[in-house]
Amino acid sequence: MQPATQAWWFAAGRLLVTVLVGCGAGWLLGNTWGGLAVALGLHLAWVLANLFRLEWWLRHRSYADPPNTGGVWGEIIAQIVRLHRRKRFHKQRFVQLMRQLQRSTAALPDGVVILNAQREIVWFNLMAARLLNLRRTADLGMRIENLLREPAVVRYLAGSDYSNPIVIRPANGDDSYLSLQVAPYGDGQLLLLVRDVSRQMRLEAVRRDFVANASHELRSPLTVVSGYLETLAQDPSLEGDLKGPVAEMRRQADRMTAIIRDLLELSRLEETNEIVGGAPVDVAAVISMLRKDVLARPSHPADVSVSVESDAQLIGDEPEIHSAFSNLVDNAAKYTPADGSLGIRWWVDAEGGHFSVTDTGIGIPPEHIPRLTERFYRVDAGRARATGGSGLGLAIVKHVLQRHGASLEVTSAQGVGSTFTAHFPPARVSVPVRTPVAAAG
Amino acid sequence: METADLSHHISRRFNEDLERVRSKVLGMGGFVEQQLHKAITALVEGDSSLGESVALDDHQVNNMEIQIDEDCSKILATRAPAAGDLRVIVAIIKTITDLERIGDEGEKIGYIASRLATMERPADKYREIKHLGRVVSEMVHDALDAFARMDVDSALRVARQDRLVDEEYEAIQRQSITFMMEDPRTIRRALDVMWVVRALERIGDHAKNISEYVIYMVHGKDIRHTSLDDVERELRAAADAAPRGQA
Repeated sequence: MQPATQAWWFAAGRLLVTVLVGCGAGWLLGNTWGGLAVALGLHLAWVLANLFRLEWWLRHRSYADPPNTGGVWGEIIAQIVRLHRRKRFHKQRFVQLMRQLQRSTAALPDGVVILNAQREIVWFNLMAARLLNLRRTADLGMRIENLLREPAVVRYLAGSDYSNPIVIRPANGDDSYLSLQVAPYGDGQLLLLVRDVSRQMRLEAVRRDFVANASHELRSPLTVVSGYLETLAQDPSLEGDLKGPVAEMRRQADRMTAIIRDLLELSRLEETNEIVGGAPVDVAAVISMLRKDVLARPSHPADVSVSVESDAQLIGDEPEIHSAFSNLVDNAAKYTPADGSLGIRWWVDAEGGHFSVTDTGIGIPPEHIPRLTERFYRVDAGRARATGGSGLGLAIVKHVLQRHGASLEVTSAQGVGSTFTAHFPPARVSVPVRTPVAAAG
Repeated sequence: METADLSHHISRRFNEDLERVRSKVLGMGGFVEQQLHKAITALVEGDSSLGESVALDDHQVNNMEIQIDEDCSKILATRAPAAGDLRVIVAIIKTITDLERIGDEGEKIGYIASRLATMERPADKYREIKHLGRVVSEMVHDALDAFARMDVDSALRVARQDRLVDEEYEAIQRQSITFMMEDPRTIRRALDVMWVVRALERIGDHAKNISEYVIYMVHGKDIRHTSLDDVERELRAAADAAPRGQA
């Protein structure tokens, strides 16, 4: 038999004995019920006393020893002690685990800040304190926007698109850059990751400067070479078997000039951020100009169709937009056979303005599409050389579109053709107010 | 903690209103800081378009001021705050005026920067202005941090730093006069530079004002026109007498 069950039997037995003794004593004294009542009253008083001791002990558990009562009460107290001990053990393990976790996050080389749904700081590690100039304990419970006041950060935190980190320059840093990334989790809580990216930014700047300087330095000698090659090609005394090589040299020199021109253009685009404002650009005029350019090519697709479905204008930098659109059209023309067709379309809907170029060219295998806008990326190296492109056209397109808040979409089927579409946000599109004069003309 | 005062409130809504206005003030402060930073960069790097954009964006600061002012009036009218809360509102109303002025000075610097960008640049490439600009930007930043944290010690530090700015202002002034005497052709540019330095010095004063409002907000003491040493002694004594700080 279990000790607990035994205790219960014992308690039941005790009650029975009490009742019997009470009844017996009462009977002897001539009042059976009175005896029973007294006996039960005594029993109840004893139970109450035990209850009181139990409650007192529970209240002062931290320093008092458990009351030493046997039987059922003792069993109950033993159970409570066991429960308590188990709870304490789990709590200790939990605290230890927490401490370990905190210690490991604190040692992270990146800054970590935990924010609750109200954007209040719940916890941050040492690195975050150093990078963001936060104060331990004093800044807990503070709204993060109160301390990171930069408008870009406030906008980023207020928005809901946390897919890309933002880079800011801290107020007190001379030449340092911080990258902030928010990862939402749980019930509206946010994990803010802070990294010092000064080194990367500096390297990036060095790389950009190098490309710009190198291109610039290469341009002058190349101009001289091209100039002499031109004179040489036109020289009547040039021997017949040298004509071919000289013509080829001229072609390659022209290509190099084009590459350098594009590199300089790219580094100029990279220098500056998104264009704010700009002048309205007449897309219809740009498109008709591009069409003429295509038709002026020595070999061009037989069918070049233009469909301008809106007279809305695009707000931005005209030379850049022209360069981006012309790169898209040039590409399409280059890869479309003479009997193919090329379509240019401009339309406006609720999502903004869209410019698309569709061709019936050779198409692009799907695995190459994500990498098309990389510099010098070639789908087919051999053919690219034959077409004489610089390999930078789509990179320029990408940068120009980025500067205008636009995105590039490429769909393609091999052997059928490709469509390049530039999507501009509604803020970049302006619908001209129709004046009666304009309507008449 | 002094900030805890804001959180024990009978009305939670009131608390949230107050906290929201405080955040708006700090948001405005963040924008002003950025304007100032851009203006100084425009001047030092001779970027005329950046300078123009600073001058063009100033109206946003004015709009923020008007909006926060309205919010404060609304709180005063509907909640009738008393004691510490009233001080917070009063301090906010004063702070946004100073922030707006900093914005105006920033606009001035941006405008002058776009004009100076077309002129010949001096040999020192505005090094003094860059340095003074950094000191002043830091003052504004620290004053706003003190405002956010209700941190009296930092506020006092900012107020002290104003002396340094004044000294620097004097030094640049003297230097500019020397340049002007040496070569009268630089007078036009030197005058413009003086305007910028003057604007920076004013911004320093405004940052000092903001930090004084922080002390007023926390301790209920008006320390304007009092020497800083006296203020510090008094605050120390008050802190010693009541270690938990008065509400």
